[in-house]
Amino acid sequence: MRNAGSVDNKEGSMSKNVRARLTLLVGVSLAAVIGLVASGSALGDAGQSCGTVTLNENGWAGSTANTYVAKYVLEKRLGCTVRITKITEVPSYQAMADGKVDAVLEDWGYPDQFNQYVTRQKTVVFAGSNGLTGHIGWFIPRYLLNKYPQFKTWRGLKGREAIFRSPESGSQGMFVGGDPSFQQKDKELIEALDLDFRHVTAGGYSAQVARVSQLIKQRKPVIMYWWTPEYLNAHLNLVEVKLPPRFKGCSDVGAGGDVKKYRCAYAAAPLKKLFSKEFAQSGSPAVKFLRNFKWPSNDAQNLVGKWIAGDRMKPDRAAERWIKANARTVNAWLR
Amino acid sequence: MAASIAATETAAPTTVVTHRPWWRGKLVQVAGIVALMYVGYRLRPLEYPWPERLEWNALSGHLDEFQIWLIDERNADERNVVFGAFDAFATFVDNLVSWFTRLLLWLTWVGTTVAGTVIALRFGGWRAATWVTGAFATFALTGLWAESMQTLALMLAAVGLSLLVGIPLGIVAGLSNRFLKAITPVLDAMQIVPTFAYLIPVVVLFSVGPGAAVVSTMIYAIPPAIRITALGIRRVPVNTVEAAASVGATRGQVLSKVQLPLSRRTVLLGVNQTIMFALSMVVIAGLIGGGGLGDVVTSGLYSNPALAILAGVAIVVMAMALDRSTEAVADRTDPAHVHPTPESRKRLQLATVATVVGIVAVVALAKARGAAAIYPETATAQEWLLARVQAVLDYVQDPTTIVFSFTEPVGNFIVVELVQPLMQFLVEAPWLTTLLGVTAIALVVSGVRPAVTTFAMFAVIGAVGMWEPAMETFAQVLVATGLTVLIGVALGVAAAESNAVSKVVRPVNDVFQTLPQLVYIIPFVYLMPISYVPGIVASVLYAFPAVVRLVERGVRDVAPESVEAARAFGATRRQVLGKVKIPLAGDAVMLGVNQGIIMVLGVVVIAGLVGSGGLGYLVAQGLQRGQFGLGLLASLAILALGIALDRVTQTGRRARKEAIT
Repeated sequence: MRNAGSVDNKEGSMSKNVRARLTLLVGVSLAAVIGLVASGSALGDAGQSCGTVTLNENGWAGSTANTYVAKYVLEKRLGCTVRITKITEVPSYQAMADGKVDAVLEDWGYPDQFNQYVTRQKTVVFAGSNGLTGHIGWFIPRYLLNKYPQFKTWRGLKGREAIFRSPESGSQGMFVGGDPSFQQKDKELIEALDLDFRHVTAGGYSAQVARVSQLIKQRKPVIMYWWTPEYLNAHLNLVEVKLPPRFKGCSDVGAGGDVKKYRCAYAAAPLKKLFSKEFAQSGSPAVKFLRNFKWPSNDAQNLVGKWIAGDRMKPDRAAERWIKANARTVNAWLR
Repeated sequence: MAASIAATETAAPTTVVTHRPWWRGKLVQVAGIVALMYVGYRLRPLEYPWPERLEWNALSGHLDEFQIWLIDERNADERNVVFGAFDAFATFVDNLVSWFTRLLLWLTWVGTTVAGTVIALRFGGWRAATWVTGAFATFALTGLWAESMQTLALMLAAVGLSLLVGIPLGIVAGLSNRFLKAITPVLDAMQIVPTFAYLIPVVVLFSVGPGAAVVSTMIYAIPPAIRITALGIRRVPVNTVEAAASVGATRGQVLSKVQLPLSRRTVLLGVNQTIMFALSMVVIAGLIGGGGLGDVVTSGLYSNPALAILAGVAIVVMAMALDRSTEAVADRTDPAHVHPTPESRKRLQLATVATVVGIVAVVALAKARGAAAIYPETATAQEWLLARVQAVLDYVQDPTTIVFSFTEPVGNFIVVELVQPLMQFLVEAPWLTTLLGVTAIALVVSGVRPAVTTFAMFAVIGAVGMWEPAMETFAQVLVATGLTVLIGVALGVAAAESNAVSKVVRPVNDVFQTLPQLVYIIPFVYLMPISYVPGIVASVLYAFPAVVRLVERGVRDVAPESVEAARAFGATRRQVLGKVKIPLAGDAVMLGVNQGIIMVLGVVVIAGLVGSGGLGYLVAQGLQRGQFGLGLLASLAILALGIALDRVTQTGRRARKEAIT
């Protein structure tokens, strides 16, 4: 803030000249903008039977795989124009209600939002499963299971929690928690199963991956909140620790939905596709295709996800490669 | 300058304090209180967490119900007229941004670059033009031209609208003490409450897209515009205003002919800060449809971290180019320093005409030769740059390197020896001990009213059921603030003493103020894979620039007479610095501490996303799991913590108004 206090007033007011110039400048630029808009809107809308479809891509590799595979088919086979937005999960419900996003191809379940937008308001429409089964659980690296075969189930963990010690967990074992946007009830599970773990939040997805992959590279013991499908599972070579489906002391808190007593392990759930009401009723050929869009297996999506996020292939190219190799599946979507 | 005035005011009592017996010093009293708190903690650890009877548990549910009601109203078939108004505004901004984007693309990449450069050259001079060219070159070489243009358009709209609202309100705040007093807490809240907390309400009212992104950016970027404009108006010397009034000028005339022209420079500096604040929001605005570089950062984090880093660099370069060129324009057109003669005026007019003609000619030529809207992908250096950045990332992610063998133990040490003991102390101490202890410290350091506020704020934290996570966050904020002040004061003093240091420090400051934290902090997690440390590093790096600036200015502003006097008595340079300059700049340093805390609190959510837990994680959870009540209450706790800490360090508050400049 040099000299700000010592401004003298020799030439205090803005000269008339400057002002006139400013007015001119504003006028000219306004005219330019208006002209531009007129020309721009005349240019838009080439007029195709399918029109523009807006897909929302979420912040994980699997979602990118869905979006770009669908985009390729929509553009190359149905002649649609595809727009991709990257709105985070919960706001994307309102985006669909407003008709600003046409479809979300992988929803992991937000019970409150689903109840309000889909069940009650019907501004968002449930469009079937995308063929994947989402499953959340506790995972450990395979080398650890080889060393301690009893870690196959949660009972094997009992009394051996200290193996998972870290600087911040003291004498307890460290349990690495997940991204704040994911459904979690691990603190409750640890308490209900009476395990001596300290729940440590690693932060968002990228931070958890960073933290855990350093531990795995060093072949240290680690136990964490994780899920399938996820392309990194093959790379990190993870195996699941079996949690009891039902156990005294567990309750369904955090999972939302109906409270069935004693339910423990996370329930496996088919991942959902959601459409905006407007899009679902539009009669566009894209609606039929996206309703049919279904991965043959979790592995299929993991493969495309790995090409994109692991091998850094351009998403468009990864989609093309998979579609060319799986023409029969794709043709079935279009029937 | 207000800071130096305040400094001379407090200089006198400081000298009195030195004559008091040592045990009456504030520092000793604070240490005594902390010792008592520690005794309380050792006697009864873990036995008295915040009592559930003092929690208002239903509040979170009420807030959730409110959100459900709001969304139902919003999506009802017969929509309330209020929502129509919000919609209209959002549509207007959406259109504005898309006009800007189309304009930038319509000009073609050649045209945009030339137009930007020539305009910067005409109004800002060579240096500004170089910055602008450099910025466009960066967008081109990183292969992020389209995304950069989208972000540029978004920022033009956000900054323009922020100023449109901020400057008039700032003028009113400059003229009316009452208005300033009323608006200050609102501005504080706008800056401290994490953006994540109001992202959902913004989406409910304004839907998603550029409109919503601009609104959430404005909430963060308007406060500096208001504060600095008000400051500019207030700095106009009283006698000048009185002189104008005495020759019969009306209030309107005084404002338009005296106060506004004289505060012009300060107001333009406010424009600078508005730009910086707006650009620090690019990534978060991307979450609700802002698009552009923000999206590249978010998706890059999981699919291509090197690309996220390139996008981060593009954001920083954009911020610096905008900052340097607006500053140059402010300098070159300052009526107090530029005295145009008729000839020079004519020359400038010709130059303007030449600029316009030149731009039109270049655009016409570019269009005729078929230049593309977007810089051609084949000519970028993206692959080359990505490979270089990736090489660095690969090194960072390798736990067998010598660097890792150093960083990992350091990180562990910080957590085990520094953060965790403090956290344990704050979380496990009986709640009443902490509550009364903090209040007593506020009483000793700042006085009765701040103490009452502090008590109330900590009580609010407990009442909304956030005591434990808030204490976790509090411990980390204390450690981060300590480090921030340490680094900030050291660098600030060095920069004030040496112009060379100052020249190096300034761009470093700008980089850390605008580089999205996630871009560099995720790679950092690989180096120190442990909770809390990455979050603390992110907070320190974001907050220390503000402290450096304030301390540097404080030390530079020490009255030259005092320095002369000390020199006349034969003081060495070090003695002058240690015995005269730093003590006299004490107020600026306190102000630095105060600002440091506010900035550290601004990073709490990001810290939560890299393993700090506490309130930040809960705020993120509130947004991302759609738990509005939870997110809002955690944000409220952050705000309460901010207000309390602000009051405790409020020795520097008088000069607070200019804090952000």
